[in-house]
Amino acid sequence: MVLLQNSGVPIYQQIADQLKEEILSGKRKEGEYLPSIRGLARDLKISVITTMKAYELLAEEGLVTAVQGKGFYVNAQDSEMLREQHLRRVEDALGEAIRAARIAGLSNQELTETLQALLDVQKTE
Amino acid sequence: MEYVINGTDLRKRFKGFTLDIPRLQIPQGFATALIGENGAGKTTLMNLLAGIRLDYQGKIQYFRENAGIDDEGVRERIGYTGPGNYYLPHWTVNQVKEVNELLFQRFDPAVFKRLCRELAIPADPGKEVKTLSDGNRTKLMLAGVLARDTELLILEEPASPLDPLMRDKLCEMIREYLVSREGLRTVFFSTHNVADMENVTDYAIIMEQGCIVEQGFVEDLKEKYVLVKGEEQFARQAGPLLVSQTRSRMGFEGICLAERLDRLAGMQVAVEAPTLSQICVAVMKAHSRLQF
Repeated sequence: MVLLQNSGVPIYQQIADQLKEEILSGKRKEGEYLPSIRGLARDLKISVITTMKAYELLAEEGLVTAVQGKGFYVNAQDSEMLREQHLRRVEDALGEAIRAARIAGLSNQELTETLQALLDVQKTE
Repeated sequence: MEYVINGTDLRKRFKGFTLDIPRLQIPQGFATALIGENGAGKTTLMNLLAGIRLDYQGKIQYFRENAGIDDEGVRERIGYTGPGNYYLPHWTVNQVKEVNELLFQRFDPAVFKRLCRELAIPADPGKEVKTLSDGNRTKLMLAGVLARDTELLILEEPASPLDPLMRDKLCEMIREYLVSREGLRTVFFSTHNVADMENVTDYAIIMEQGCIVEQGFVEDLKEKYVLVKGEEQFARQAGPLLVSQTRSRMGFEGICLAERLDRLAGMQVAVEAPTLSQICVAVMKAHSRLQF
C-alpha cells in the first residue's frame, strides 16, 4: 500500500480507496479478515484512529463488516452491488464530462454526439 | 468506548495557579497526547495520574474495576517514565534492572536486556545513571517500563530529550505496544513535539492555564477545524471569525471552525486540512497569555 502525505487526499481516504479497489477486484476474498487495525497502523506508520476511520468508511459502504473483538471481514460482493459501484463510477466520470462541456460551451446535442463518436471509435478498434 | 482513566473534579491549587479539570477520560486502546504551553499544568496532571502527587482534590479511577492508585494490582499494570530522578543517580544500569525486578512481578530481565541492546544504551552494567546523557536516561526508563507486562503507559515528555532517529523509534515502540494486545493497551504521553508525534497520536488533549481547552480524536479535530489562507485585503475582516490568525504583508493564515467557514464567503480564501500541530498552535494561541 502506498500513502502520499501531501496529495491533498486524507490518509484514511487513501487507505479506504486502496482496500476498496482490492475488494472490488476480488484480490481480497469474501470472508477474509482485513489486517487488524493496530497492526495496519504499525505497518503503515500512522495512528490507530486513522486506520480505524478508513475501516469504518468501508463498513459504511457495506464492503466489510465489523465483528466485536475480531476485526473486519470482507462481505460477499453480490453482483447487484458491484454493478451499482461501477455505475456510480461511470456517472461520476460522465458528470465530469458534462461540467467540462458546460465550460467549453458545448450543447447537449454536441456532447451526446461526442460520446457516440467515441463509442464508434472503440467499436472499430 | 472504554476508558482506562476516569478523573472527576480534579483540582490542585498552587500559588498563582490552579489545575481544574471537572472530567478527564483516557480512551482504552489508543495513544493520547497531552499538549500545552509551558506552565499549562501538564506535569501536575501527569503527576496526579502517575500517583506521584497524592495531595489533590477529586477522584481518579483506573481500568474497568475503577480502582485507585493505592491498589497494588493497578500499579503493576501501569508504567511511568518522566524527566525526574526516577532512578537514583548513583544506581548502575544493572541495579536499575534489579530494582525493577524487586518492585514489579511482571518485569522480564531478558526483555530489559534485549531492549537495552536494541536502544544502544551503554552496555557496561556498572555504568551509573548520573553519567548517562538525558537521551540515554530516557531510553533506560523506556526499557524499564517496556520490559514489564503493563496495560497503561504514562510517559511524561518522552520525545523531548531524544534525537530525531530515536523519536522515530519511540513512535514505532508505541505502535508496537498498542498492537501487542490489540485494543487492550493504552498510552498517555505529554509532548511539545506535536509534529514528531502526530503519526502516533489518536486522541489529543490540549491544556491551557490549568484547564482542558480542547480534546478529541485527531480525525474528528481535523474535521472540526480548517486551515484558511487569504489575501491581505481581507485579513482584518476575517480576523474575528478565526480561532487564531497570523498576518503579514503578503496575506493571512488562520484556523477556522469548519462550521463557521461559510461566514468567510466572498473573501476568496483557500482552504486546506490542518495538521494536528497547526490545530494545537491555534487553540493554544487563542487561550495563551503570550502576546503576538
